[in-house]
Amino acid sequence: MTGRRSSAGATRRAVAALAIACALIVLAPATIVAVLAAGGAWLRGWQPARLYRAAAWCAPMVIAWLIAAASHGSDPLLAPYDAWLAVWHARSAGLLLTAAVDVAPAAVPLGLLLGGLAWSARIADMASAAGGRRPGAAIAFDQRQWRHQARSAAARIAAPGSVPLLTARGDFAAGATIRTVGHPARPLTTLPEARLRAHQVVIGSPGTGKTTLLLRLWAAFMAAGLRRHAAGQGGPPLIVMIDCKGGADARRIADRARRVLRDAGARSFAVWPDDATLNLWTLPPRQLTTTLVDLIEHGTGGAAYYTDVMDAVVALAVDAPPGPPVSSADFLARLDPGWLALAYSAGGYDHQLQLARAAAHQVPDVALRFRTLFRRLGPGLDGPGDFADADAWYCILEGTGELAVAEAQARAVMDLLAGYVVREPGQARPTLLAVDEFSAVARRLPIWQLYERARSLGLAVQVSAQSWHGLAPDEDERYRIATAAEGGIWLLRTAHPEPVTGLAGVRRTVDSSRTLLGFLRWSRQGNSRVRDGPVADPAIIRALDVGQAAYIYRGGVTYTQIKRLVSGPAALAAAPRAAPPPAAEVEAVPAALADISSFLDEAFGTGSA
Amino acid sequence: MVSLSAASLAERDSTGLTFVAEMYGLQQDQLAELLDLTARQIRALIGRWTQRGLAESAILSPGPPWIWLTRAGLQACGLRYTATSPALPRLAHIRATTAVRLALEHAPGYADGGAHWRSERRLRARLGGRLGNREHLPDAEVHWPDSGPAPWAGECWAIEVELTAKTVTRTTAIMRELLARTGDYGCRAAEVRVAGSPPRHDRAIYLCSPGAAATVRRAREALGTLATRIEVRGLPAAAYLQLRQRAETA
Repeated sequence: MTGRRSSAGATRRAVAALAIACALIVLAPATIVAVLAAGGAWLRGWQPARLYRAAAWCAPMVIAWLIAAASHGSDPLLAPYDAWLAVWHARSAGLLLTAAVDVAPAAVPLGLLLGGLAWSARIADMASAAGGRRPGAAIAFDQRQWRHQARSAAARIAAPGSVPLLTARGDFAAGATIRTVGHPARPLTTLPEARLRAHQVVIGSPGTGKTTLLLRLWAAFMAAGLRRHAAGQGGPPLIVMIDCKGGADARRIADRARRVLRDAGARSFAVWPDDATLNLWTLPPRQLTTTLVDLIEHGTGGAAYYTDVMDAVVALAVDAPPGPPVSSADFLARLDPGWLALAYSAGGYDHQLQLARAAAHQVPDVALRFRTLFRRLGPGLDGPGDFADADAWYCILEGTGELAVAEAQARAVMDLLAGYVVREPGQARPTLLAVDEFSAVARRLPIWQLYERARSLGLAVQVSAQSWHGLAPDEDERYRIATAAEGGIWLLRTAHPEPVTGLAGVRRTVDSSRTLLGFLRWSRQGNSRVRDGPVADPAIIRALDVGQAAYIYRGGVTYTQIKRLVSGPAALAAAPRAAPPPAAEVEAVPAALADISSFLDEAFGTGSA
Repeated sequence: MVSLSAASLAERDSTGLTFVAEMYGLQQDQLAELLDLTARQIRALIGRWTQRGLAESAILSPGPPWIWLTRAGLQACGLRYTATSPALPRLAHIRATTAVRLALEHAPGYADGGAHWRSERRLRARLGGRLGNREHLPDAEVHWPDSGPAPWAGECWAIEVELTAKTVTRTTAIMRELLARTGDYGCRAAEVRVAGSPPRHDRAIYLCSPGAAATVRRAREALGTLATRIEVRGLPAAAYLQLRQRAETA
């Protein structure tokens, strides 16, 4: 009985195969296009949707062809049949080119559609591990497709002008899409501009293209912000980049950032503390006291007593009746028992005077600690300068060379930025704070606190690190940062991607098994089951090439080949600050210049700006 | 036979088209001010230019529409600039620079002295894309012919329009560069700064917004003796892009 049933099934299959083969031969022109389309899609790693779209784009050609047929007196409904007949007649006459031209309007869209369907069936077959001669064929197919997709994406970004920084709709284009899971498959990886103004996380080992990605994100933020500003939808954008590693590498990246951001429209770029300074003394007195106390490292337990004393002395110096100090020298001059007593000796300050006298013995110690701190910090925080002075700030903290100094600088820069944003809320400048390896210097300003503060101030924070562990000191903080990244997570090659890929979630996939019949022989019969697989595959992340990144957002992932921004030539070394003018300039000053004030008054009104 | 009105129209076309080409593009109200036309007349003129394919017009920013020349328009002016619409991030700057040029050209001493405005676009075109990252290009140059009656005849001024403040250090560096330059833009690298040669720019005129003026003044103070060659003035009131809120309240 079973044997008879299986023989009937085999016959049915043979008849069906024969019928399909006949249909394919009869529709030979469409079959040829379908084979070429499916082959092309395999070679380029395209999704079937691309072939369907191509078929849809043939619609105008088909309509024009039908109209032309109708205008020649033929029935448009019979036009495909007439063309089919004409093809066979032309082929019999040896006119292959004529035959191809005659049938193209019908064969091309039909062939693309058939090719798309066949390619879709093949992908579904391999994705469930049901296709191929051997069970391992599905894995080989997937790996081969990845190579094809990556090669296509690399070719796409190599074409000049193929990946603009911002699309016509104002979306940010990161690069060419390699593969998507749970996201729409588009040739370019584009993000709405608003996502650049949300918290983001970037993780990637050294040499994987992290800086290239960051530069592109910064340039896009600047260009999009300027575009919004020009349209009257907000103030000019501000980017503050904090490089917590320091050294020559930071200077090189700062130079690249300068060139890229200038090309994106930034008018001014400041590198702190190399060629620009900030002024710590512009902070409001209450905040200044807190910041100054936090700049000094102090212990806990018994050391808390000294912390309280220091806090009291600093508050006395900052809140003194003459007003807050205007420089570190001014502040150090106030850390003197005599000065404090004199400052508060006018009537009405009895309590402070009493406090100053009580702390007189500790004041020289406090002064010594601040003198040492300011010497190590250098002039970078002693002004003049403000975040309003430039469109982009690149702050270099020597986290590798001098950790304690870098920690103090990080604290001060963050307080200054918070102070600037709070002080000038009316300007509504969209601000991006990009911090690289901030956890290295975050002992005095925990990174979650940075996140919370930024959120309350309306800043977008972009945290980047070389690994998951570099994101924050402990696991709780890492998860807190990663889950708060509403703008998405960028993952480049890294050795331990599981915690981040876990955040992308799982998806339902079909897994098939087959029966082993003998040595290297598998049956086509087996079982399929539905199982949960990761949306972002950690194995793919581990094997990503340089410049490839996975963008994880809302339970989906887009693998993309990042387009490197090409900027102008490298800058010459910066001129030393406050250098005397070269002799040539002094010689070149004309002896006497005519007074042009009256002319400028005529043109621009009286008085200078 | 050419009628008088046709002749004046042609002159207006030539003046307006060349002006638009040199400034990258400009807003309708500034073009009306340049040609002394009413809003209706200027709309008709722009309509004629766009119809002939000489110019394009679109609303790129709050306020009146912008006009810029097409390739055909640039060719009609005999200029070999790349035809492109004004860059969105630079609209505010372009408007401010145009306002400065209009203010200068309306001053009686300008025409009497035979002064000539050399735009940034022309300077940039001379460089042919060789602008180094550190080489600063002024927003314009004003050349005063030797034969003019003005006491400053024969001078060349660098015009700098500052809408947003740079750092003092950067501004000082730009001022030094402008005042120390000896060669024309596009000259050989060896001629850019030649010791002992007369400077290219006798003065630099800074036209600043209120927000940028303090920085420019501090930068000028840091120059020492060179500060006498820097003039700082406020931007004309018409130099700013018309903000949406302002338009709504109006």
